[in-house]
Amino acid sequence: MTKDVISCLQDQKVSDIIDILNENSFRMIPVVDENNKILGALNTINLLSKLVPEYIVKGYLKSIPYAPDMGLLRKHYKQILDIEVAELMDRNPTIVHENESLLSVTAELITHDRFEYAMVANKDNELVGIIASSDVLRCLGKFTPEELFDA
Amino acid sequence: MHDETVSQVIFGLDPTWVAVSLLLIVYVVIMAEKFNRAVLSLLGAGMMILCGVITQEQAVAGIDFNTIGLLTGMMVIVAISQKTGMFQFVAIKSAKMVKGDPWGILLVLSVVTAVFSAFLDNVTTVLLIAPVTLLITDALNIKPYPFLFAQILASNIGGTATLIGDPPNIMIGSAAGLSFYDFMVNTAPITPLIMFVTMIFIWFMFGKNLHATEEAKALVMQFNEHDAITNVPLLKKSLFVLFAVISGFTVAHSFHLQPASIAMFGAALLLVLQTWGQDLQSKDHAYEGIMAEVEWTTIFFFVGLFIIVTGVEHTGVIEMLAHKTLELTGGDFNATAGAILWVSAIASALIDNIPFVATMIPLIENMAPTFGGTEYLTPLWWALALGACLGGNGSLIGASANLIVAGFAQRAGHPIAFLQFMKHAFGLMLMSIAIAHVYLYFRYLS
Repeated sequence: MTKDVISCLQDQKVSDIIDILNENSFRMIPVVDENNKILGALNTINLLSKLVPEYIVKGYLKSIPYAPDMGLLRKHYKQILDIEVAELMDRNPTIVHENESLLSVTAELITHDRFEYAMVANKDNELVGIIASSDVLRCLGKFTPEELFDA
Repeated sequence: MHDETVSQVIFGLDPTWVAVSLLLIVYVVIMAEKFNRAVLSLLGAGMMILCGVITQEQAVAGIDFNTIGLLTGMMVIVAISQKTGMFQFVAIKSAKMVKGDPWGILLVLSVVTAVFSAFLDNVTTVLLIAPVTLLITDALNIKPYPFLFAQILASNIGGTATLIGDPPNIMIGSAAGLSFYDFMVNTAPITPLIMFVTMIFIWFMFGKNLHATEEAKALVMQFNEHDAITNVPLLKKSLFVLFAVISGFTVAHSFHLQPASIAMFGAALLLVLQTWGQDLQSKDHAYEGIMAEVEWTTIFFFVGLFIIVTGVEHTGVIEMLAHKTLELTGGDFNATAGAILWVSAIASALIDNIPFVATMIPLIENMAPTFGGTEYLTPLWWALALGACLGGNGSLIGASANLIVAGFAQRAGHPIAFLQFMKHAFGLMLMSIAIAHVYLYFRYLS
């Protein structure tokens, strides 16, 4: 789990968040309030889904291998830069609690949105860290075969 | 005709009032669009039985399984066929044939919509064409409203042409024993003329103001329709089954087969063919995926609706309405045909044409004694088919396909307002009914 987490506030502009994501090669940033309570998350897939037309996002056109670049992505990109995070964030992100077992965390990562990151919260729903699917694998790699049986 | 069981109605209430109230409540609540129509229809059907208006046996006997089977079979066939990308291929090829010219694209996509709608149901057709249309108008950088408007009209006009083009036709064909061939030679001939005249008006309304830059047209020409085909073997299998099923419909009557058997058999055949040679897990996965795409809401809506109308029919109300209608038209056949055509058109514009047609079918059947027998009713069936299908163009709520397209337009950021559509469409619909009336007159009534 990563404990020293960069987060953002919901009234920040999307353009600032994109800068943070790009500079740090992040794929997700938690959105919190002034008391560090989790409000949601903004990830790269959320952002990309705002750049393509709704009829694609909603699955009416599942794949468009026949379509050339039409300037749509660039046009919508410019439009979302000035929007506030609150408008685009996922209000139902994957959250696990700091006392949950590894098994429970893994199940949540797989079933909730099949996204690789989950935010870790304490009992007051304050952000304490982020856990990635790679963290789970790394953790399992440290066990001996006998210990794995009990993990 | 009153049934013995009708006297067992709950709390000793008059079965007529119970049945008619249930029918009206269900229709009104469906139109309010606050609840799922299948749920409402099944609730109404359940109430018909629980209140004692009809028994379960009578209810089941009233379900037109030919309509249900035909709809289900075609939904499965289309769900599989659309995975091949063939509909997008046709749409893009058509747009490139006219070199990206906006009016040309509007025209060809409307014709494509009309032709598809004749052989697939209208909702499926617009679900396939509207998204690609929005992509093309995004490429042209023009507003999609004229294109979507034309496609709504085209889907209802095209659907009028064949037995399988629109659910009202399926229901009428099933009840009246009219075949695919019968519809081809009776309703299909007038639809190209109606389409042609409608497109002329649309040109005056929108076409002459459609312009795109040369760069935008060049962008459309960069679409590669061959990349739209995602599965060539499945494409061949789908085309084979589609062709076989349509041919089957055409000759069904000669073999004493009904459309539902042909459609369901075709569906089963394509389900087997689509995963031929694959392992069981892949087969199951593909099967479940296709079954999830069948519009069960529509199927259960029909089931409930048939039961509700059966309940009302059992009370004799519809027979009484038939007599009243004949009193109003003086028992004159031509006047009755005209009345059915125009009333169906106006009603279909304002309320869902499927419940309307479900109620009209027994009403027309009850006119048989007046006109010398069921075999003389045929022109009345054509009047109902033309009125109910073309009438769907009168307003956004006139047909399900209209609402689907309106939904797309809204999500694309170009909402179609109810009155805006009606202002453009209602007059065009009346014109199409006038053409249909002239056709009916010269073909059957003079």
